[in-house]
Amino acid sequence: MPKPSNEGVTSQVNPARTVSSSLKDNEQTLISIFEHCSDIVFRRVTLRDDAKLLLLYVDGMIDKDLVQNTILKPLLYEGVPQGLGVLSSLAQMCEMELVAALQTQKVSTFEEAADLILKGNVAFLADGEASVLLADVSQYETRSIEEPSTEAALRGTRESFTELLRTNTTLLRRIIVTTDLKMEPFEIGKFTKTEVVLAYIKGIATPDLINEVRTRIAGIDIQSVLESGYIEEYIEDSSYSPFPQMQSTERADVVAAGLLEGRIAVFVNGTPIVLVVPMTFWDGLQAPDDYYERFLYVTMNRWIRYLFALFSILFPSVYIALTTYHPEMMPPKLMMSITGLREQSPFPTVIEVFLMEFMFEGLREAGIRLPQQIGPLVSIVGALVIGQAAVQAGIISAPIVIVVSAAGISSFVIPRYRFGYPLRMLRFPLLVLSGLFGLFGVALGLIMILTHLIQLNPLGTPYLEPIAPTKQNKLKNVFLRRPRRRTS
Amino acid sequence: MNKSLITVCLLLLSAVTSGCWNLKETNQLAIVIGGGLDINQDGRLEVSSQIAIPAGLGGPDTGPNKKRSFVVVSATGKDFMDAGQNIQTQLSRTLFYAHRQTILIGQRMAEQGMNKYLDMVVRNPKSEMRSVIFVVKDGTAKDILETEPVFDPLISTALGSVQMALGMKPFYYREFLCESRPKGGSVLLPAISIQASAKRFNYAGAAVLNKENALKLVGFLKPEESYYANWIKGRQRALIVSTSGKQNNGSISLRAQGLKSHIKVVKDSNGMRLHIQLSGTGDIVENNSSLDPSLAKDLRTIEKNMSKEAEQAVVKLIQKAQKQYKAEFFGIARHVHNKYPREWKSLQKDWNETFSKLPITVEVHLRYQDPGQTNSSI
Repeated sequence: MPKPSNEGVTSQVNPARTVSSSLKDNEQTLISIFEHCSDIVFRRVTLRDDAKLLLLYVDGMIDKDLVQNTILKPLLYEGVPQGLGVLSSLAQMCEMELVAALQTQKVSTFEEAADLILKGNVAFLADGEASVLLADVSQYETRSIEEPSTEAALRGTRESFTELLRTNTTLLRRIIVTTDLKMEPFEIGKFTKTEVVLAYIKGIATPDLINEVRTRIAGIDIQSVLESGYIEEYIEDSSYSPFPQMQSTERADVVAAGLLEGRIAVFVNGTPIVLVVPMTFWDGLQAPDDYYERFLYVTMNRWIRYLFALFSILFPSVYIALTTYHPEMMPPKLMMSITGLREQSPFPTVIEVFLMEFMFEGLREAGIRLPQQIGPLVSIVGALVIGQAAVQAGIISAPIVIVVSAAGISSFVIPRYRFGYPLRMLRFPLLVLSGLFGLFGVALGLIMILTHLIQLNPLGTPYLEPIAPTKQNKLKNVFLRRPRRRTS
Repeated sequence: MNKSLITVCLLLLSAVTSGCWNLKETNQLAIVIGGGLDINQDGRLEVSSQIAIPAGLGGPDTGPNKKRSFVVVSATGKDFMDAGQNIQTQLSRTLFYAHRQTILIGQRMAEQGMNKYLDMVVRNPKSEMRSVIFVVKDGTAKDILETEPVFDPLISTALGSVQMALGMKPFYYREFLCESRPKGGSVLLPAISIQASAKRFNYAGAAVLNKENALKLVGFLKPEESYYANWIKGRQRALIVSTSGKQNNGSISLRAQGLKSHIKVVKDSNGMRLHIQLSGTGDIVENNSSLDPSLAKDLRTIEKNMSKEAEQAVVKLIQKAQKQYKAEFFGIARHVHNKYPREWKSLQKDWNETFSKLPITVEVHLRYQDPGQTNSSI
């Protein structure tokens, strides 16, 4: 993280100072501004008619071919073109005649100039002129568009966002071709000066929502934005809620679908993850290709997801409640076999489930962090040590392994991986409750979770809508995915 | 934040103080899988519990050195729970009654009357009402509990399936309770006996317990009689009816399904009359006679013979009930009660006696549905 240096000339230079007409002074100022910045290149050019130019750019961020071929060569070899009438200044001449770049602009303070230079512009300073001409010739190494890695879908686009904001907005523009697609720019972060774009479709998104998001983003005052999560944290309603209140996606089609539903997307430069606000509970359980596949399959899949979501949050705690508090509720034969397998275990069921849940979460985390070369190690050690050895040694009873792994796997059925976190997390308080009070505790915990969900109201949209509050016309889309011809 | 913390604490406290603290691992429980009631030689109540040994049930080892799957523990006592207390003295784990699959009643117990011991199973919330109930003919409940089952690891779970395999609805304790509460008549309980030689059990028909006399045992019905009795009661789902084979030199068997019974109570100047109508349809599954089911004429004959033979069996059964046992166990009492609620008040006191004098007509209709894969007998 860059820290303002407090030595030498820098501290004396006020970057907000306006550019003077003396090239020498300007050069001195710029040198002091860019002190100890080895990647800044100063190029002094003297033209045939003794006009002096200073070119300034960040090495590695500009298109060198472009600068050489369209700017430097004409300037050096041909000089100032003749017979064009009176040009008021050299810089104007450059702008009009020589600099064949798409975007140019003129600024008059060092601060603005420095900002733009750092973003890949070439700065032109001419002797005798009190302004800086900047041409956008930025070009740097970026990742190409790849397949989405966290939001797999069998059907639909294979393009996912990249780190470059412009690429990402382009992907969106290519889907939604209308002038109503608005993209409002923001710049956030004192050091990172990250570009943030607020995208919405005028006429579909409600003005209230747009205003709300706009003011929230504009109100952010932080040093740095390294990922869209920074923005998310600043504009989400309830930071303490375990449930995500913003959908994060790396798919352009998901963003487009969200915008067409009247939601707002927040693009952040430097990350492929785009935020879509507001989000409801049911959005978390929908997959990107829900609307591409035939509705019958999708409806079935949705129900599978709902059931597995419930399963993943409840299975371990209900298992504890049934085996330790209400054994009369189990079928007799099931109870016998569970008891038979439990005879050797040294720990109470609650402790066993806790141990295994911790192990499972550990394995999950390790699976993400391990370098790819030793990735298989986790599965081998996990399956062998936890699955088999622990059971055979009689430390953990076999049903616990089944319960924990089944619940763990079912949390990964949820298509938005972030939505699996709260379900996995809330398992632990439910475990404690069921270990203390049996099914009564589980019911208690569920009531608390439900109360919280009903209270959640991100950006004015109730989290459980359309179930609570009930919206008749949208309700069917939660339980079924109605055929499209009928929904319209 | 403070408020919600207090709420949570209150909720937790309410749970603890209201006694909702009964955590018990399943391997701290002695799971009673079957219960038996007997009167022993000294005339005292003897309760036997079949307790499952889960280690002998579950688990992958099925070798010869596998543990036994159950143990039968018995003790005497003043009543059910007192005896249970005495059983507990012999066990290291708490008795757990909620999975009791079977209740067996020894013959001597049935002879002395079941009335006194009905209460415990209902009153105790930890007790299972869906246990199948059997009377042990010529034996004690303990003997049956100790037999080695053929298929299941535990005899108690097997007993429930016996009735199902014979086409009856299983007779659960709760049904016994429902039938024994209204006054008048008798209750029909399934009966089981033990084959001393093979150490196996046998379905032994049914036992008749007189409700008007402290639910004491009146007598037993043979297995075949019990099928017809259950048919009249509407508890028989399927039955194979066979002609005796005197005519036409061979027997014919019909697997009758969808058995229905219709009991008509008529009261006129001649007094009360009963008409029992039984019907069923089925497939001809065996034909050793010279009749050809593909011919309409023969088919009619088959149906007629079959219905007639079934009718004779039912008439015989009703005669046995009226003359020998003087007990009404067909559930006719309910029909009379429904139709003549006023008269029933005076009838219910000695309904068994009244029943034994009623004129009863029987009508059985058996229809074929499928003559089978071949025509005449091969």
